[in-house]
Amino acid sequence: MILAVMYREYRIRRTSMTWLFYDLVMPLTYLLLFGIGFDRTFMGGIPVGGTTVSYNAFFLAGVLSMACFGIAINTSYGFFVDRDNGIFYEFLTYPMSRAEFLVGKILFNALLSLLQALITVTLGSVLLDIPLRWDLAVFAVGGVVLGTAGWFFFLSAFALRIRRNDMFNTFINVAYFLLMFGSSMFYPLDALPGWLRTVAMANPLTWHTDALRWATIGIGDPAVIAAEAALFLLFLLASFLFAVDTLRRGVLR
Amino acid sequence: MGSKENVKTARNRLILARIRHRLRAMFPGHSTGSAIEATNLVKTYREGSPAAVRALDGLSIAVRQGEIFGLLGPNGAGKTTLLRVLTTLTLPTSGSATVLGLDVRAHPLEVRRRICAVLQENAVEVYLSVADNLDTYARFHAVPRLEVRRRIEMTLERFGLSEYRSQKVIDLSGGLKRRVQVAKVFMVDSPLVFLDEATTGMDPMNRRATLQAFREEARRGRTIFLTTHVLQEAEELCNTFAIIDHGRCIAQGDLAMIRGLSSRAFDITVTFDTMTDGLLEELRRLPLLKMEVHATTVTLCVKGREMSALAILTSLARTHTITHFEVTSATLEDVFLELLGNRQPEGQTS
Repeated sequence: MILAVMYREYRIRRTSMTWLFYDLVMPLTYLLLFGIGFDRTFMGGIPVGGTTVSYNAFFLAGVLSMACFGIAINTSYGFFVDRDNGIFYEFLTYPMSRAEFLVGKILFNALLSLLQALITVTLGSVLLDIPLRWDLAVFAVGGVVLGTAGWFFFLSAFALRIRRNDMFNTFINVAYFLLMFGSSMFYPLDALPGWLRTVAMANPLTWHTDALRWATIGIGDPAVIAAEAALFLLFLLASFLFAVDTLRRGVLR
Repeated sequence: MGSKENVKTARNRLILARIRHRLRAMFPGHSTGSAIEATNLVKTYREGSPAAVRALDGLSIAVRQGEIFGLLGPNGAGKTTLLRVLTTLTLPTSGSATVLGLDVRAHPLEVRRRICAVLQENAVEVYLSVADNLDTYARFHAVPRLEVRRRIEMTLERFGLSEYRSQKVIDLSGGLKRRVQVAKVFMVDSPLVFLDEATTGMDPMNRRATLQAFREEARRGRTIFLTTHVLQEAEELCNTFAIIDHGRCIAQGDLAMIRGLSSRAFDITVTFDTMTDGLLEELRRLPLLKMEVHATTVTLCVKGREMSALAILTSLARTHTITHFEVTSATLEDVFLELLGNRQPEGQTS
């Protein structure tokens, strides 16, 4: 049944190649434009965890986690599109469990995330000379897939509870703003004031970005990264259970 | 020879047992004869809040397998809510509901494996073509791949959709979208089909063809649970009915039973050779609910049993020349309106 959900996602994506193209190259574009600007500003590199790396190398993980978050937003926003098209409630009468529905929906989109990440990492390393740790690639793959899934489950729980898409948009904007700038996505946490660093360290986006940074350029204390990865998995699991429960109890309360 | 016969008999028994097993898998709960049972079902939306709405208020209904069941009621009566509970879209607040012997609360997935539903909203994949809509629906319902193609062709043909097969649904008219939505349930073999206002927006010819298709499905053994506002459609199609109001069942049974609930059972239309004042006076003395006169034709609404209609006709025929007469019993709509009285229409969410 998960395959049927994936197949449906694939059929829909296939209907708009333009949309698919932008989805795939957007993170690379972000890295090339935004990253290069900051890379030139910090010509001498930036200090992270006792070493100095180029801003492009530092920002690569930020772009990847941003891309995972973006795919998760699009996928959870899909509930509103399905609601507008009337198909959402019909889906819930199909012979599949609520968990299968959510997992199938995100699995196909996680594959897109992977493709997106592959394009970004490969071209990023070639064009921007980012020193990649290919030996850790398997962890990067895991980080992209689980990251996309974690954010999707988290956002789904809200998308399923919030009935108005304009309200959901506001929620996304606020959540994204707070999570993004209160994380290690754009800058190392060492430079932040104590209170903000504490907040950032409790932010799942920091856990995700740090894990991806370690898996792509090998920066970070493996013990800390392991703890952050474990916390992110807990976050993913809790979000998944919350989203499934929302669907199980009935989205029509 | 004898042992050969025994082997043959044993093999036949085995085949029969396998067929029975498959049938049971396809139509579980068949032996109980009950497709749906709802008992004291209560559903309160936004429970605990001042804006709480009690959409179902102790509703009980029973639907037998293989019948076409019509659920009728005014807006806000609770029809859609009942459908949502039975299709596992929402949980009941209290009471119990079983679908093909399975409790909707305890076994929602098992219930969903045995049903398919056409909901009130236009539920189609607007970005996909008509054929792809049927294809994805079949995949969700685990129809074998080889079978999918055959069924797509058959369904497109049956619903007059062949010429639109490659068109994206977003480009189709509302009526065609609805046709695609209804056509989907013919791609699968689920033993129980829920239809919520399924023919809304269809033109009369397609409506008729769709109703005929539902009849054929019922003959194949599928149970059809229908909600509609078009009472004539329900009367044409359904074997049994339930009329609900304010979340409660106020009448349930077959058409004869429901008609029997009407206090006005017959309409008599009589055409006389001439209309005189004396005849009119005589007609006015009869125990009628209503009388309408058009030239030499009168329509009399008679309260009571069949015999009272016959008695009136006999007495009129004794003293006047009747050129034509017709007796019709109360329609479902008459009973519906009578049972629900003259209450004001409501726009309450159900």
